[in-house]
Amino acid sequence: MEEPTSRFDEDSTLRSRLEADPEPALRWAAVMAALALVQIGSLLGGLLSILDAAVVGVTAIFDVLFGLVGLTGASAAVVDVQSALSGAVTTARDAAEGLPTLLSRETIPNQGHLASADGPWVDTFLGLEPALAWAVRVLLIVGYSLFTFYWLFRGWLVFRAHYRQADWTPTDDMIDRLRDHRWGQFGIFVLALFLIMALFGPALGPTTVSQNIVSPYSHEVTYFNADAGAVETVAAGDANFNSKSKGAGDQNVGPMTYDNFNRFHPFGTLPNGRDLFTFMMGGARITLIVAGLAIGLSALIAGGLAMVSAFYGGNIDLTLLTTADGIVSVPRLLLLIMISAIFANHWLAGVLDGGFLLALIFAFTGWPFLWRAVRGPALQVAQEEWVDAAESFGQPPRTIMRKHMFPYITGYLLVYASMSTGGIIVGLAALSFLGNGLGITPPTPAWGRAVSLGQSYVSGPSWHISFIPGAMIVVLVTGLNALGDGIRDAIDPESAGGDDDEAAAGGGA
Amino acid sequence: MSQATQRHDDTDEETLIEVRNLEKYYGDDGMFSPPPVKAVDGVDLDIKRGETFGLVGESGSGKSTLGRTLLRLEQATSGTVSFDGTDITTLEGSDLKRWRRNAQIVFQDPESSLNDRMTVGEIVREPLDAHDKGTERERRKRVMDLLSRVGLREEHYYRYPHQFSGGQRQRVGIARALALEPEFVVLDEPVSALDVSVQAKIITLLEDLQEEFDLTYLFIAHDLSVVRHICDRVAVMYLGKIMEVGETEELYEDPVNPYTKSLLSAIPRPDPTDESERTTLPGTPPSPRDPPQGCQFSTRCPAKIRPEGFEEVSEETWDAIERFREIVRERTRVELGTVDRVKRRAGLFSKYDDIDEAVKDLFDGVERPPVVDDHLTYAVEQVKAGHPQDARERLHEAFGSVCDRERPAHHQVGDRGRESYCHRHREEYDDVESAIRR
Ligand code: SF4
Repeated sequence: MEEPTSRFDEDSTLRSRLEADPEPALRWAAVMAALALVQIGSLLGGLLSILDAAVVGVTAIFDVLFGLVGLTGASAAVVDVQSALSGAVTTARDAAEGLPTLLSRETIPNQGHLASADGPWVDTFLGLEPALAWAVRVLLIVGYSLFTFYWLFRGWLVFRAHYRQADWTPTDDMIDRLRDHRWGQFGIFVLALFLIMALFGPALGPTTVSQNIVSPYSHEVTYFNADAGAVETVAAGDANFNSKSKGAGDQNVGPMTYDNFNRFHPFGTLPNGRDLFTFMMGGARITLIVAGLAIGLSALIAGGLAMVSAFYGGNIDLTLLTTADGIVSVPRLLLLIMISAIFANHWLAGVLDGGFLLALIFAFTGWPFLWRAVRGPALQVAQEEWVDAAESFGQPPRTIMRKHMFPYITGYLLVYASMSTGGIIVGLAALSFLGNGLGITPPTPAWGRAVSLGQSYVSGPSWHISFIPGAMIVVLVTGLNALGDGIRDAIDPESAGGDDDEAAAGGGA
Repeated sequence: MSQATQRHDDTDEETLIEVRNLEKYYGDDGMFSPPPVKAVDGVDLDIKRGETFGLVGESGSGKSTLGRTLLRLEQATSGTVSFDGTDITTLEGSDLKRWRRNAQIVFQDPESSLNDRMTVGEIVREPLDAHDKGTERERRKRVMDLLSRVGLREEHYYRYPHQFSGGQRQRVGIARALALEPEFVVLDEPVSALDVSVQAKIITLLEDLQEEFDLTYLFIAHDLSVVRHICDRVAVMYLGKIMEVGETEELYEDPVNPYTKSLLSAIPRPDPTDESERTTLPGTPPSPRDPPQGCQFSTRCPAKIRPEGFEEVSEETWDAIERFREIVRERTRVELGTVDRVKRRAGLFSKYDDIDEAVKDLFDGVERPPVVDDHLTYAVEQVKAGHPQDARERLHEAFGSVCDRERPAHHQVGDRGRESYCHRHREEYDDVESAIRR
């Protein structure tokens, strides 16, 4: 054991430790500041979007609660507060997004047109052709984001090496094991990629959701018309109309090709002529928000109830068991369809284009699976003597659960949550695939809808419409499973160790 | 206990904890549940201020449950525990929380007793936090102080339990138990999970701390030699009942209860020339769900009283009979499936035919005088027909003595507050010593 007295001082605070040895922290902070500054506009915009979603979410919960207890007046007031707050946040966000951002479509534009039949390209970044300009931007954004993720992790390493008072914590071992876990890292990488898509979606697409998908007739496209031999302007909607992918040779814009309007389509177009890549990026955002909300809520409910089950046992556990079984016994898809139908005209169905309601439904139908998975670990930790110890000095049950049980089940919760997120994503896609008022409301992009739109062209030249979204779903779900495996191996290097503990806890008179 | 007042060491001060008729049953809620486990089955105890009171017993004797019930980690089924005059079995809410400061526990397993996601400092500080003792700074100081009192160093504050050995972890557990300055500490087998070399150090530490903080200990153990070393008085527990209680030396030198005798003779004696007979404990304790109706120890007791009319039966035969009864009792605990019940009705039951085999083994070379033979034959028939309960009752009728039928009383023995739970202390029976020697 190395002698840590130099770092040991019973009254030292993080601040005093920082002052004593500021150099590593400063070095890290300088890089971090540079990284933040470069993207200040979109960073603030992103944060404010999250804030907006939070405001909507929290107020929606209050609204539903008030509605349940019959306080219609209060519920209306909540809606007012919500729209006021949300409006303010949106204004701030628009302002923030006006700030200069290095890796944006404005600084590296890819939407340009040919000046004549053989060039040059006008309005694109450095006069590159749109495909290249787009590729440069995508690479920069992905590179930037991955590096930023890494740098945040690096920050923790710096803290651990220089400023933390404990020279070792159990978390260190977990992180170190994850650092050697290639499959788990693949999962992290995949999740990071999709997070990047969700965060920077608007900057990643060759065009934007609003230009190309939501209101194509209020935006114009300038292009070189080969037939007329001149540069012309056309509404994006009309351009879409003539860029459809419908499986026939003359009606197909495949992946990595240009349409007749000088627009580049990395993933080709949809049967209605919209850009599939942009559509997928928009879909990523809504998918991750809904899946994240759903799994977060599920995990919260499941974790809380699992601890209650394990701590009190007996009849409470039995009641939960019955409830969970009841929920599980109803086919999930059926429940989703029913609830969606009931709430079809409720304003709640409008929040996040229907995604919020879906998230709630997924959460309330999904927690029993998670609860079952973590009830075992919770029961095991409830047997530990440190729980008795806490009780013996009068710690209230809530504190015991939070301090002495929760840290032991978070790992398992993470494992099972990341694995069941796949199910939610597939379920979400399935709903959008079915359509008919289910799933995310069109025209907001949803992956399932893309699969559904392309299903009649699967075996023709327009195979990309169904295949690419399908493949992306598969990759994401696989990645989440890999992540789950990684976390599992990190928290529990040899699952055999757990059995001994159990035997020890069960023994003794 | 008027006799005890003549003594004048610190153990005969006032009583700190008075336990009266304490019972703790498990699993008796629900109409169709099996009979409850009587983990603690009517216990009376007095623990005096400042003493170390030992509680010994085999595993399953209910000693840990008793300790936990005294601390309100388990809710007593009935009976009272008065702590300094307050009945703590009925305390609730903030009263309970306030009382908890007075009574703490050190656990057996140092692996399981410390939350290994918290630093040692946080662990020892948690009781202080829970009771809002002093300022942040004072709490830290107090923790540092406690750590050095139990033989750890201040820089261990920011280490995690994983980084410590079993003995050190146990020290942390002790520091945590002392954080709130309790009067009473339950030591639940505090050294039995540790290496022998470490055990002595921890025991010494516990003794020093007792001296320093005027602690009262309840020392729970299955290791009799440790108890002899540290305890002022000892209670021996079996199947939820205190069999014998008394001052340590006296009890060890001259045990009067058959169970205590058996238990003590099971310790390897240092002196091989000691000619006192080793009484062995035959069999295993009966299921606590189905304890004997009379004395709890009656199924294994070497001194068990014989009923009238069997004086002539030889020792071997009687032994075989007792063991046969044990086998029949075992049979009655097996639930029969539907198929077997149908077979039993149809007279085709054959599951228990192996009883013949067992009887042959038991009575091999042992005579079966006519006084016993009828009963045995009847019992064997009943078992084979699938009615072990009938057999059990018949055997109980025929061979049951006062030990099988009646719960003994706690008899005063000697003049130093010794009590023993056994019928043999009654006038009409031979005393234990001569019964065992027979
Ligand atoms: S009462 Fe009978 S069975 Fe119980 S200890 Fe005394 S002699 Fe043995």
